[in-house]
Amino acid sequence: MKKQILIIPLAVFLLIISAFFYLLIIDRNPSEIPSNLMNKNVPNFKAKLLLKNKDFLSSKEFGNEKVLVNFFASWCKPCRDEHIFIKRFSKEKGIRIVGINYKDKFSNTTKWLSDLGNPYSDIPLDKNGRIAIDWGVYGIPETFIVNSKGIIKYRHVGPITKKVYKKISLLIEEIE
Amino acid sequence: MKIKAFIILFICLTQFFSTSSIGVEPDEVLKNKKQELRARDISKNIRCMVCQNQSIDESNSPLAKDLRILIRNKIKEGNKDEEIYKFLTYRYGDFILLKPPFKFSTYALWLLPFIFLMIGIFVIYSHNKKSKKI
Repeated sequence: MKKQILIIPLAVFLLIISAFFYLLIIDRNPSEIPSNLMNKNVPNFKAKLLLKNKDFLSSKEFGNEKVLVNFFASWCKPCRDEHIFIKRFSKEKGIRIVGINYKDKFSNTTKWLSDLGNPYSDIPLDKNGRIAIDWGVYGIPETFIVNSKGIIKYRHVGPITKKVYKKISLLIEEIE
Repeated sequence: MKIKAFIILFICLTQFFSTSSIGVEPDEVLKNKKQELRARDISKNIRCMVCQNQSIDESNSPLAKDLRILIRNKIKEGNKDEEIYKFLTYRYGDFILLKPPFKFSTYALWLLPFIFLMIGIFVIYSHNKKSKKI
């Protein structure tokens, strides 16, 4: 009877160890934090647009169709790396892409876009990072999928890789 | 031997009393001291989402600076502390609070240590009782 009881701590210990081991080997980024804005409305904001002489009003621009929102800056190296996939979203998926330009210089952004191509339908300017805070952004690049009702359905932190591209492509088709 | 112990104690104490790093820059500081103190208090409870193990009061990351300024602006506009916390957690989730709130999803986190303590006391107690009998 006593021996049987002695097994219990060992079993619990092994269970905990295997849970830790499982979390260690699965493909995950422990510093990635789930967005609190999931399934919530797009934050309200108004911003000046790059290349266009008018304002961007979130209340008018979201809620009509699916939109991919991409926070980027010309000074951000991972943004440069993922740019090819942003272009592919535009070409292959035909989704409208809004690129929010985070704390950037006008001349640098325009040069960056002419060098790499411009897949964005609109580029609202976030000069002081206030729009990013409203979206809960903590490290660019970040990419959101907003459905046709103007509700945030997905957020990805970090550059889009081949694997992420496939995942988001499927989501774009699934999300209404 | 005594000297050695004294040195170790001294080193421990210097660590204990050392001031933590401060990320607040002079241009951010509010003129109103009372408001500035409130801002510092809130900042100490807000996690820097970039560094993740520092508060925005200590961090020198740009996002931490933005949030410190935002908190100060909100205080100047007359927002209450709770309103500022609500504003931040709506956008960044409970993770932005260095101290997790006590609510349904965190009951296990807060209560398990006490439950384990109770189990421990019970085990020791019953063990003692048994060994006394023998």
